[in-house]
Amino acid sequence: MSESLIARAPWPHEEHASSGMGGVTAVVLDGLGLATVIVRRGQLSALTDRVRERFGIVLPHGPYRRAVGSLAFAGTGPEAWLAMRDTPDGFTELLTSEIGAMAAVADQSDGYAMLRVSGPKVRSALEKIFPLDLHPSAFKPGDVASTVASHMGATIWRLDDADGAPVFDIAVFRSLAGSFWHAFSYSAAEFGLAIAARG
Amino acid sequence: MSASKNEAAMPNRLPAHGLVDRKQLLSFKFDGRHYSGFAGDTLASALLGAGVRLIGRSFKYHRPRGVLTAGSEEPNALVELRSGARREANTRATVAEIYEGLEARSQNRWPSLEFDAGVINSLLSPIFVAGFYYKTFMWPAALWEKLYEPVIRRAAGLGRASLEADPDTYEKSHAFCDVLIVGAGPAGLAAALAAGRAGARVILCDEDFLLGGRLNAERTEIDDSSGRDWARHIEAELRSLPEVRIFPRTTVFGAYDDGLSGARTFGALERVSDHLSTPPVHQPRQRLWKLIAKRCVLAAGAVERPIVFGGNDRPGVMMASAVRTYLNRFAVVPGRRVALFSCCDDGWNTAFDLIDAGVRVEAIVDARPMVAPPLMDRAGRVQVPVYVGAQVIETRGSRSLGAIKLRERDGRLRRLSADALAVSGGWNPSIALSTHLGGRPRWSNHISAFVPGESPRGMTVAGAAAGSFTLSGALREGAAAGAAAAAAAGFTLAAPPLWRAPDEASGVAPFWHVAESKTKAFVDFQHDVTSDDVALAAREGFRSVELLKRYTTLGMATDQGKTSNINGHAIMAALTERTIPEVGTTTARPPYTPVAIGAFAGPHRGKQFSPTRLTAGHGWAEERGAAFVEAGQWLRAQWFAAPGEKHWRDTVSREVTAVRSGVGVCDVSTLGKIDIQGLDAAAFLDRVYINMFSTLNLGKVRYGLMLREDGMVMDDGTTARIGENHYLMSTTTANAAKVMQHLEHARQVLWPEFDVQMVSVTEQWSQYAIAGPDSRRLLECLLGDAVDVSNNAFPYLACAEFQWRGIPARLFRISFSGELAYELAVPARYGDAALRAIMTAGDDFFVVPYGTEALGVMRIEKGHVAGNELNGTTTAEDLGFGRMMSKKKDFIGRVLSARPGLTDPHRPALVGVKPVQPSAQLYAGAHFLALNADATLENDQGYITSVAFSPMLKGWIGLGLLTRGPTRHGERMRAHSPVRGGDVAVDIVSPVFFDPQGARLHV
Repeated sequence: MSESLIARAPWPHEEHASSGMGGVTAVVLDGLGLATVIVRRGQLSALTDRVRERFGIVLPHGPYRRAVGSLAFAGTGPEAWLAMRDTPDGFTELLTSEIGAMAAVADQSDGYAMLRVSGPKVRSALEKIFPLDLHPSAFKPGDVASTVASHMGATIWRLDDADGAPVFDIAVFRSLAGSFWHAFSYSAAEFGLAIAARG
Repeated sequence: MSASKNEAAMPNRLPAHGLVDRKQLLSFKFDGRHYSGFAGDTLASALLGAGVRLIGRSFKYHRPRGVLTAGSEEPNALVELRSGARREANTRATVAEIYEGLEARSQNRWPSLEFDAGVINSLLSPIFVAGFYYKTFMWPAALWEKLYEPVIRRAAGLGRASLEADPDTYEKSHAFCDVLIVGAGPAGLAAALAAGRAGARVILCDEDFLLGGRLNAERTEIDDSSGRDWARHIEAELRSLPEVRIFPRTTVFGAYDDGLSGARTFGALERVSDHLSTPPVHQPRQRLWKLIAKRCVLAAGAVERPIVFGGNDRPGVMMASAVRTYLNRFAVVPGRRVALFSCCDDGWNTAFDLIDAGVRVEAIVDARPMVAPPLMDRAGRVQVPVYVGAQVIETRGSRSLGAIKLRERDGRLRRLSADALAVSGGWNPSIALSTHLGGRPRWSNHISAFVPGESPRGMTVAGAAAGSFTLSGALREGAAAGAAAAAAAGFTLAAPPLWRAPDEASGVAPFWHVAESKTKAFVDFQHDVTSDDVALAAREGFRSVELLKRYTTLGMATDQGKTSNINGHAIMAALTERTIPEVGTTTARPPYTPVAIGAFAGPHRGKQFSPTRLTAGHGWAEERGAAFVEAGQWLRAQWFAAPGEKHWRDTVSREVTAVRSGVGVCDVSTLGKIDIQGLDAAAFLDRVYINMFSTLNLGKVRYGLMLREDGMVMDDGTTARIGENHYLMSTTTANAAKVMQHLEHARQVLWPEFDVQMVSVTEQWSQYAIAGPDSRRLLECLLGDAVDVSNNAFPYLACAEFQWRGIPARLFRISFSGELAYELAVPARYGDAALRAIMTAGDDFFVVPYGTEALGVMRIEKGHVAGNELNGTTTAEDLGFGRMMSKKKDFIGRVLSARPGLTDPHRPALVGVKPVQPSAQLYAGAHFLALNADATLENDQGYITSVAFSPMLKGWIGLGLLTRGPTRHGERMRAHSPVRGGDVAVDIVSPVFFDPQGARLHV
């Protein structure tokens, strides 16, 4: 009666992967630590100082993502961020102890389903569902947008290019993973969608 | 296939020239007969090349019709394309590209195109005039739906839609640019190159599959190459520019709003696979684009307008520019003996091109009293008879043109044999996109046409669309507009490109209508509106263009009057002795050309109509054979049928009985969960709920009710205090987003001074209700030492956070069923495993999963309100929560809940209902009437909101809203449901049917 519980990723099975071309690659990001961070009243500069001091990160004031190592803060709204790290264990507790006096922290490690998408044709696939200008000059590495993708709320940010091709992370509510995957894989199918294991 | 056979199959195809690929012979079918054409042909050019001139029958009179134009403005040559589920009606043969195996059929004819019984309408034409429907079928009204409309609909109409589901897919997409260029003719190509060379992000769209516009149809030269070669050359440079995107087969169909940045949205339809028999794998049939452009250059060209004269609709009568297109682009001659009827210089080019191609031109008839000497000289050199100041008054021929009758300047009548007549009444700039946002066009006397007036912000019109009809003008204006648009977006070009092109003759005199014609002269070909109809409208007082349009249906066909509106308005102007600017013009609205509904739906059809939200326990519920029900976007398990259960009610009754006698589990993850923190969180909750939350102890849960500002109930739920300044609110599934919005409004707008932070954590937690007398024993097995769930340690309305099997968990002792019950929450990634663990732990207690139906039955048995009662029209008092409204504090909705109408003691309020006959069924929606009262509105006393078959009471029960309800327990009434046919005697009772003392909650 005390065996440990097995975690389960929100993403459906690989139903829409299409072969060839390799225009788009998707990696399921599972097992991240995620938390919403909302500044307490009048604490923005104190929070900014504390985040710089404890994590070495210049807290972005606006829709930008700033990272040091695997820890990052992405601006998702006025004085609100999605903080992330590569493991969920103890992340909310860490944030609460370090910045809880200046910000409300809420664990969202299970609240979002996340995908990392990349490849030479990834913009062509994403433009079908995101009403965003994803041109390299308009949406730069570190830029964040909270928007609607194919009728689903989604947050997207751009990372540094890899292998000469753009890389984006997309977060949607966990319950929407199946519908989002359908929309994304349908959009990417013509370019060849490969599903890679997390590197 | 041998060459000679080719020629035999394409009698009207010239042996050389043209922009078709003669190496790619394609066969296709029209009305069941086989024909051949070349890659690069449209259906219209291929049929004309094959010698087919009769393409369809007209809308009202079933007159034979051929091809009038070579573009998207075509009103006549509409066909059904493809077959079976892919059949599409009203496709313009002039823009449909042929492919191997294409099938097309003529429309609106019976039994065949050659012999059409509907021609009888032509003989009856005196009664089919404008306003006919309004006048003839006024009486008796009853016959309209049964007789007149079906008959008219069969006789008058266009193609038939396929009734099968469309097997193809459709996509939507978005593209952003600095400069959008609409049209890839000379002006558009020049604009694209200027903007592209400057480095701007350019999108160039053209509805044709070949860029170049009129350059592909003319023999003009730019610099020292042919216009068509110039177009290929410019296209090649554009394709080499990384920031230029070219969309052929794409119609920009509408201009829409602009944003704060000034960028404007345009709608465009890309016909990705219309030129193929079936779309390639992973490709849609069509793609709907939302184009967002900082600047736009409208270079959509112009549409040549017909002249209204007797028999102008006969197959063989064609626009002069279309004749040139078929001749020069497709190497197809539309006739062997061609005449020209024109009132502009441009029309004469058709005659000269035909003569140069070796086609006999019978006559040039120009309605103008004077023609420029160079044209006369050129006609003289090629020895074509010219009739200046003359008019074609009639055409002859059975199914296609055989002869024309003209009236010379001196009044003499002359008959000429001709199998084709090229007509040019001048050109109308394609200004639709400049008017979609309300811009009124301006009349130009110079070209006798409307030109763009004030265009939408950020849009420049260039070339023929702006009324500049010479090639040199188009190139110059295009380059300037492209460079200026790029500069406005921050990209400058040292020197805009310059090209040399002739300033060809482009004189025109306004000439609309041959008044001497005795036979039918068509204004609107697609809707069969004649000059007589316009005259009738004028006589009957429908003189405004808007009334003319609606009375005669002028311009209301699928072509939106591209070839007819101006002619109709000009005739109206002449009849009413006004100028055309005085008469005005009707408003063009999007879409510029028809767009299939499927394209607007895109991928959002069937199961993908809207997104689906699934809980972490969904897979498990599927394994258990749950039936699911939609709750907003969520899918929730409705019930879990066991083998042998024949009716869902048996299943639900079993689930209810099992919960009330043992234990059951229900996935309640879909309820909204809002994490609320901050020093003022308690004060904030006091203001959003009618009852007090600042007094709630740590580790406790309280039921709360919130009102809208107008005093009506908004939502209910429980809120737990999980920290000194930390609360967790739950909302109903349906109102989760609305409540979040409401709270954000309160936080940001009403009380920005509060220190309060909130975020939805609905998705973070999977939550399961574990309900029933055995629920504590189940939890003891499940949770072990993680938390003490004894009644003393964890009483009703307790809550706790703890670690369980290495993960954080939350437990709440709350109950919607009225039983001893808990809700266990775990991080969602463990939701599936936790549910399985609950079922395993419950095995010894015969735990059952239950769905939303059993949940609903139990809450009705307990008299708990839900969505049916929280319906936006009820107050707290109505629902029995009047005393919960705190008098010690202010809260949202307090002031307006005291309005007289909302405190009226006669308001319908919550009651329970039971049928007098225990076996009788109740229906939600049934109205309360006194036993002997008639079923009238005056006697209505309220209605039943929710009903259920209660396995505990072994009969139907319900909740309802009855006037002065709480004072009327024990009364007997009727529940009258005219919709469902029920009229049942009911007893009004307390809404709490089961365990009224609530003893089961506290054990």
